[in-house]
Amino acid sequence: MLEYNSNQAIYKFKIMSKKKITLTILLFLIFSDILETFTQFCFKKSALTGSEFDIASFSQIATFLHSAITSPFLWIGLLSTISTFVIWSTILSKIDLSVAVPIASFSYILVPLTSIIFLHEKVALLRWVAIGFILVGVILVSLTSEEKKEPA
Amino acid sequence: MKTGLFLIIGLIVLTSICDTISQICLKTTINSLGEFSSRHLINVLRFILKLILKPKAWLALVFSTLSLIIWLLVLSKADLNFAFSVDSMHYIFIALGSSLLLKEKVGGIRWMGTFSIVVGIILVTIS
Repeated sequence: MLEYNSNQAIYKFKIMSKKKITLTILLFLIFSDILETFTQFCFKKSALTGSEFDIASFSQIATFLHSAITSPFLWIGLLSTISTFVIWSTILSKIDLSVAVPIASFSYILVPLTSIIFLHEKVALLRWVAIGFILVGVILVSLTSEEKKEPA
Repeated sequence: MKTGLFLIIGLIVLTSICDTISQICLKTTINSLGEFSSRHLINVLRFILKLILKPKAWLALVFSTLSLIIWLLVLSKADLNFAFSVDSMHYIFIALGSSLLLKEKVGGIRWMGTFSIVVGIILVTIS
């Protein structure tokens, strides 16, 4: 009887920890999306530091590359790329690729949702419908997900 | 104009395929490494170190870079909204690739969810 109870407790714990992993993975996916946007921003910023240059002139290309390399944004961008890779690889070691990629599409509604909630922007009906479709899709895909259990 | 449009759609398909190949390379490499506990940062770092020592992980990087270059080419020619809505088909490539090459079980509900996301992205980009 005691064994039965403890088994049940372990089973319950497994279900609970499974749910917790799902939430953690979702948070990490969102974080990795934000990080990726930030990476793009940094690279664009580092490319903008140089003045306009003629692509046919080697000395001007060299000047552009020099100003890009010395820009801190390039290095922050690279660091952020590496972090995104680490997070994404860790996520992929836990769930199926056909689950991770669709769930990452959550970022498509993150921007509209933040502008609705925090900036009180008016949103067209069609955009609400679109957000609904993506949300339903993400929920459906996550429901079919089974994470690999954490080895002790 | 018509040929230009076809060229752009072709390039978007190509960038989606490159990205799918990259993700599948990365996922097969990760699957070959086996399971680990991600609760400790040291385990995660050890896992990443093992990962970057595999040549296939670098193949993933090559395809990912290729995909990015083609994507930038597309963006220099096409409208951003149009490019994004056509690019949403890469969710279908990922689902197909995962089920055929990685033997992941992509059932009816997962397909429905994937299609729902594709429809949503197309709507979000045209709205």
